[in-house]
Amino acid sequence: MSGGPTVDGHDANGQHANGQHADGRDANEHHTDGREVDGRGVDGPVPGRRGAGAVVALAGRIVLAPAVLAVAGALVLTTLVMLAVGVDPALAYPALVRGALYDGNLEYTIAAFVPTLGMALAFAIPLRAGEFNLGGDGQMALGGVVAAALALNVTLPAGLGVLLPLVAAALTGALVAGISAPLRTRLGVPAIVTTLLVSTPAVALASYLVRFPLAEQGTGNAQTPTLPDAAHLPALAGSEYVTLGLPLIALLTAAWLLADARGVLGYEIRATGSNREFARYGGVAVNRLAAVTLAGGGAFAGLVGALIVLGPPYRFVDGALTAPGYTFTAIAAVLLATGRPVAVPFTVALLTILSAGGPGMERDAGVPSQLTQIVQGLIIVIVAVFATVRHVRRRRNARTEAGA
Amino acid sequence: MAVSPAEPPAAELVGVSKRFGPVVANDGIDLAIAKGEIHAVVGENGAGKSTLMSILYGLHRPDAGHVARNGARIRLRSPADAISHGLGMVHQHFRLFPELTVAENVVIGAEPTRGGVLDLAAARREVERLGDLYGLRADPDARIDGLPVGIRQRVEILKALYRRAEVLILDEPTAVLTPGEATRLFDVLRTVTATGASVVLVTHKLTEVLAAGDRVTVLRRGRVTGRFDTATTTADELVMAMIGRSLGPATPRRATRPPADGPYALEVRDLRVRDRDGVPRLDGVSFGVRPGEIVGIAGVAGSGQRELLDTVTGLRGPGRGDSGEVLLSGAPVRRGRHPAVAYVPEDRRGRATSPGMSLAENLIMGDQRTPALRGRLGLSASAVRERARTLTERFSIRAASVSDPISSLSGGNAQKAVLARELSRGTPVIVVEEPTQGVDVGAQEQIHALIADARDQGQAVLLQSSELTELRALADRVLVMFEGRVVAEITGEEAGDERLGAAMTGATTGGASGTTTGGTSGAAS
Repeated sequence: MSGGPTVDGHDANGQHANGQHADGRDANEHHTDGREVDGRGVDGPVPGRRGAGAVVALAGRIVLAPAVLAVAGALVLTTLVMLAVGVDPALAYPALVRGALYDGNLEYTIAAFVPTLGMALAFAIPLRAGEFNLGGDGQMALGGVVAAALALNVTLPAGLGVLLPLVAAALTGALVAGISAPLRTRLGVPAIVTTLLVSTPAVALASYLVRFPLAEQGTGNAQTPTLPDAAHLPALAGSEYVTLGLPLIALLTAAWLLADARGVLGYEIRATGSNREFARYGGVAVNRLAAVTLAGGGAFAGLVGALIVLGPPYRFVDGALTAPGYTFTAIAAVLLATGRPVAVPFTVALLTILSAGGPGMERDAGVPSQLTQIVQGLIIVIVAVFATVRHVRRRRNARTEAGA
Repeated sequence: MAVSPAEPPAAELVGVSKRFGPVVANDGIDLAIAKGEIHAVVGENGAGKSTLMSILYGLHRPDAGHVARNGARIRLRSPADAISHGLGMVHQHFRLFPELTVAENVVIGAEPTRGGVLDLAAARREVERLGDLYGLRADPDARIDGLPVGIRQRVEILKALYRRAEVLILDEPTAVLTPGEATRLFDVLRTVTATGASVVLVTHKLTEVLAAGDRVTVLRRGRVTGRFDTATTTADELVMAMIGRSLGPATPRRATRPPADGPYALEVRDLRVRDRDGVPRLDGVSFGVRPGEIVGIAGVAGSGQRELLDTVTGLRGPGRGDSGEVLLSGAPVRRGRHPAVAYVPEDRRGRATSPGMSLAENLIMGDQRTPALRGRLGLSASAVRERARTLTERFSIRAASVSDPISSLSGGNAQKAVLARELSRGTPVIVVEEPTQGVDVGAQEQIHALIADARDQGQAVLLQSSELTELRALADRVLVMFEGRVVAEITGEEAGDERLGAAMTGATTGGASGTTTGGTSGAAS
């Protein structure tokens, strides 16, 4: 019968999902339904909890949030590691905090916070639509190169001299990330693959451009000459390393948070990310949204590249953009935020402090700074374990229905 | 073979309880399946049938109680254990390899070998032997993907019998079958039980239970609420046990007066659609739906309903080699969801809702760009909440809070939410698929009333359902689809099981169903 394959396809799409519906939750539903059948007359929504009870519930939700549990668990495990190798945690942790926040180190930490937050948005924006952008490095590097090339070759007045490279870098990043959109929507190659694959050659191309066409003559260093003064990002008052990039990124982050929570586009992006077929059914142009979010993420990565290049030491030093590992620290931070955009700035701050405090801890307490990477790694492992447990549980519930 | 109470039951669940978190799915259930009987297990969705069968098949371990075979207690840690104890399961969604032959599918995982090599000849012989024994004839060399659903189900049963199953569990076996195929299935099951094996039939269709079962166990909210001999019970008694009250008479909600012979609100002209492999899925479908009319779509799953409805709703854009037109009030539509067509999809969790989003957010999908929901910065939170409150009240959707995820609602309430969203738009055309699937009986009545109301308000309704009773109760006309064509058009009053069933198998074409039939060209002109 020619209709054969569809029969199965239909089942898989339609009825199976319905089967999933009747999973462990179904018993729950049944419970509610029972109330419905028996307790006729109780109409309309039941009012939610209010007052003190709600505050306690909220506090409980925060304390038991996977992110909080992951950080706490990672710190406990790290402490055990410290004790096992004979390091005094009472010495190490204060040294870590000092290394990040005191003794004049705060400025460096903030200077690292800005690009990490930017890269977090580069990952988080497409993630809201269900797309993974792992190509932040390439988007950032090419953005930085374009910014440097513009600043070096086009003479512009102050103000415009900063603005134009920033915009051009954002566009470049958007373009580099945007390549993945048609590959995803037309050919079905997941963005998680293509963004990563595009990234390596993009970084290499940036490196080539910096070493040859844009290289500083006569020094032999893999870097561009110092950018003209008009292209220098102004430093904030009382600081040498913290530039205008901080308020800029803060502003853009706030705008994104608002758009995500309240905007029509934000709603459509969230709907696409949480159930693509549902969004398509509701008339959302899901393919276009995939492109928009990937390009939007790429724009942030490109912008970060420019912010680094236009900040101290005001030149593109090959490797200086990708070596600190902003991209993957940012991905870790976004994953740690577990689907709560508002939490992203905080998780970014936490992980930035961890990595920035490492050298201080090594100096003052004799603890290898790699320990901070262990903490970061543990956090990700714990978050992943939570996610896996949730996934397995859901699968098992689905199987219950499908198997019976 | 007669049921002999003196013998220990072939399979028995004793005092089985199972909780999922705070939810008690099974609460001290006793169920004994005698040798040689067909034992039906019925209950509404969520009554605990599925969990109970999962326990009997080793997919779940009970929190309390145990499983016994022939009076001896057994431990089931996995389906493999269950199979080795002679328990076999025929899943609702077949687990067959479409590229392999019948014989290969039957023996897979337990292949006969000769000198370490698969002995296909022996496999073929085995399939033929079992087929003769049980009257389950199937060509051992036929590839699964070329077989109709009824035969595929036979292969599933053969698979279980090949593994020497003495207790066969069938989960909603008739969901994908035509009435004729269902009758043949029950004949086969009789042959199986005649050899001394037992059958557990999980279903929600009471007519089947009464026709095919020997005994019935009714579950409700995780407990046994009734045990009956089918010979001495009635459908009313079963319903009473299932839902705790009796249903009102099945009132047909067909239109009181036929709609005027006016223009069509929705018209489909000579639609031809091919799938990716170039196989025709729709082969010249034409029909029209007038305002104030419900037109039903019947047919065995996979007869082209999916493609037809996806084309009508605009979710399926025209592909290569497709032709034909969809017209709304006479104007052809282009690709993409059309705002004038409301659509209640069958796949509630996959398409109609986003389970992770809140009820309020689910209730605005499709309207998110309308000015009514606009605030100063994008969507107005208060307008969104207000709409959700209005709809939950008007459609009596029971939810703790409109900001809770929609997945926390019961199936019936989630379905009412989908209907609320789509019907409240007041569009001229509504497409409804399987509106009461996975919905409890109480909510079913409400949902039928909502659809009938929409029709009475002059909306044109296209209703696809695999429940013939639903079509009979609601539809003014029923179009029967078979292999991508509309093979019969039957008015609501004349849509008996036999007429519909014959048409669904393609046994009748237009001419055979008399004067009311529009035939392949339908009502379009």
